Amino acid sequence: METIEVNGYYLPPRLRKGIKTFRTEVYQDDSTTLHLKIPVVTRAIVEELADHLKKNREEYLAQLPIERIVAILDEASRRWLDRDYPYRKLALRTIPVVTGFTPEVVEASIDVEMESSLGEDMWKALCSEIANPLYLDDFQYSEELNGFRRAFGPELIVSFFSENIPALPHLLFMRSALLKAACLGKVAAGEPTFAPLYLKTIEDIDPQMANAMAVLYWPGGDEAIEDAVFNQTDAVIVFGGVETCKALMERIPRRIRLLAHGHKMGFGVIGREAMKTENLKELAAAVAYDHSMFDQHACLAPHCYYAEYGGEVTPQELARTLAGAMEEMEVRMPRGKISARDAALINQLRGRYEVQELNGEDCLLLPSSHGTAWTIIYERDPGAFSPSPLNRVIRIWGIEDIFQVLPAIRPLRPFLQNAAVAVGDEREKEFIEELGALGLSRITAPGKMPVPSMMWRHDGITPLALLLRWCDVEKKEKIE
Amino acid sequence: MRELPSEVRELDREILTFIRKGVDHQDADQFNRLALRTFELQYDHIPLYQRYCERRGVTPKEVSSWEEIPPLPTDCFKAADLTLLPAHTVSTFMTSGTTRPEERGRVHYDEGGLKLMDATILEAASTYLFPDGLKNLILIIAPPPQRAPHMVMAYGMNHLKEHFGLPRSRFLVEADGFEVQDLVDDLRRSETEGTPTAIFGGSFGFVNFFDYCRQEELRFHLPFGSRCLDAGGFKGRSREVGRDAFLDSCEEFLGVPRGYCVNLLGMTEIASQFYDNTLCNLHKGVTAPRFKVSPPWTRTMVVDPDTLEPLPAGEQGLLRHFDLANRGHICAIQTDDMGKQVENGFEVYGRAHEGEARGCSLTIDEMTRVLEGG
Repeated sequence: METIEVNGYYLPPRLRKGIKTFRTEVYQDDSTTLHLKIPVVTRAIVEELADHLKKNREEYLAQLPIERIVAILDEASRRWLDRDYPYRKLALRTIPVVTGFTPEVVEASIDVEMESSLGEDMWKALCSEIANPLYLDDFQYSEELNGFRRAFGPELIVSFFSENIPALPHLLFMRSALLKAACLGKVAAGEPTFAPLYLKTIEDIDPQMANAMAVLYWPGGDEAIEDAVFNQTDAVIVFGGVETCKALMERIPRRIRLLAHGHKMGFGVIGREAMKTENLKELAAAVAYDHSMFDQHACLAPHCYYAEYGGEVTPQELARTLAGAMEEMEVRMPRGKISARDAALINQLRGRYEVQELNGEDCLLLPSSHGTAWTIIYERDPGAFSPSPLNRVIRIWGIEDIFQVLPAIRPLRPFLQNAAVAVGDEREKEFIEELGALGLSRITAPGKMPVPSMMWRHDGITPLALLLRWCDVEKKEKIE
Repeated sequence: MRELPSEVRELDREILTFIRKGVDHQDADQFNRLALRTFELQYDHIPLYQRYCERRGVTPKEVSSWEEIPPLPTDCFKAADLTLLPAHTVSTFMTSGTTRPEERGRVHYDEGGLKLMDATILEAASTYLFPDGLKNLILIIAPPPQRAPHMVMAYGMNHLKEHFGLPRSRFLVEADGFEVQDLVDDLRRSETEGTPTAIFGGSFGFVNFFDYCRQEELRFHLPFGSRCLDAGGFKGRSREVGRDAFLDSCEEFLGVPRGYCVNLLGMTEIASQFYDNTLCNLHKGVTAPRFKVSPPWTRTMVVDPDTLEPLPAGEQGLLRHFDLANRGHICAIQTDDMGKQVENGFEVYGRAHEGEARGCSLTIDEMTRVLEGG
């Protein structure tokens, strides 16, 4: 048994000495004991920290040219993509112990997140949202305005992460830095190890920039601490379930800009023209990948795939080929450990579909041979949506017509986010228009669900532009 | 209705004899013989179960112990009819807890099966609930069977009321809901008249009544020999009430000491009931920790939640029950209750808790709330 000690927080160097009380959380798996050091946060600590972050932002980060910021963040992503990078190696040892994800899943998630966080992506995302990233540096001439215009980011963004998706918090630190805002991340109890390591990377590249960033944990809902935070911040970003978002939103003062990303769900749709023998293996591999990344815990993951009857390949055949793909996936990127409750849910669901199948109903249960590693259930679309218990439980619903998907998902409108769509014929445009109108914010191809680009308007909003304040100068001549 | 087939009647007679020998009668060999015979009958006459067993390579010929008999997960009863003699059905019980009818499990009983259940109810209750032989005024926070014909708890409690209840025993959930004032009046009268009184109900029915007592500042001091029987526990509820807090409330609001408070684990899919050993031990003068007893016509084992393989004694896992009184459907039932085996019984912890931090995907719980409009 190996013992690792890591920090479950990141504070700017000057503030580290100020914290006197720590507690240690112990996590354990079969081979590793992890001691996670977590400061006991008080109102005074948070107040001092927020002051410090804002001051450093004003003195340094706010003065940095956007090109330089992009270059620093790009360098951070590249370091993380290097397989020999010590922090990455450490994360691969710690995150699995805390989250239960296998190292293979964690590794894949770091690759996916960092590959889409390179300089070019950031620059494009900025161009896509605010036209000219140089607006963040200085007044720039705008032709439409026939004057000069400049964008100002918030002083301090506080991000609440309530989930355990590894490598996600870095996205919020990146976005904040792009807006030249200081950032305080409040991590979830379930995965507090990645974000501190990411900020260590920033510190190694540019210690002054890291002086405007921090990661802390405190028990969610602690009003003394959170009210102190709200007093000092001008923007809040929340990730979490319905209850978490609602509880926070009720307490956040109105002057604060708020972006709430609630829990979401995704699905896939394959039209009959895309159900072809020649690409069946690739299609199955793509569907397997969509379900296996983050073991389906991410909002980007599908709960099910609808497959249309009448193509070269039947939905049942797709399910069978998918079983092979999931078997391969289990070797290459095994599923993580799950709770007793989750395993029990899967076993109950399996029993139920097995008796339905044995009873001659139009359904098929294809389970992994040992334990609950993966499960595929094919059935004729029941019309009403049933959620997957996640953890690699794939539902393939056979449908007569792809448009039947629409009424089934309509009750879930507030939660719709992502869909993988392969229609393969002239109905595609109309179908996609309908999905957009229903509330989907991202439509992609099978196999691409877990990997949105930085250009994606996350949950249907412009996550950068929404936090900016603009100043327009109606004057044609250059401002001196 | 036609008579049950003779082999079924013969088997029922033997199971009934076995049950009626009471909870202190242990005969592992006879239990095993009856289990194998029941399995063979179910295998032969429930084609769906036969296919289920075949898929696992299990036939009655090769099975030598009840432990090898393939269990069915409880959710199977939501999806298919697994009745031995469907044409002989006289009662159907359904699981609750959802507004979606396709999400309710159904178990059908023939006359003989119902008799087996009745016998288990009497044998278990006379040892674990009324070991003192004292009759009680029984007040039931549940609807009577006429109002809830598919609720197995109403059926069972009615049976208890008939056998162990004094006159004026009654159900207190009627068309307008829980008649809380009636309960208050009856309890006051019991106090005055010195009538030992038993309150039966779902665990949450008790909690609601305690809330009412707290709000109205009501306290009762029920006469010696009064008792509480709560069924179901708190699984699936948003509000968790610890067992200790529950027992404290029984004492505080009703004046019923802990030893006279018995929790019952009953399931629609299982004909027999599993009682706390507390009151029985108190009566015998035995001091022992509180756990659930598996009566001799049942067995309980604990399995790995992921692989469903049996776990060594003392480890936590999912409970699997085998019940001879389930002759009319399937004897071996895999539950999703977490628990731990102890000598002659088990501890049950209810459903395993959801992990604290998870992903950002909508969870099954959140989605179910949306879909059911809850």
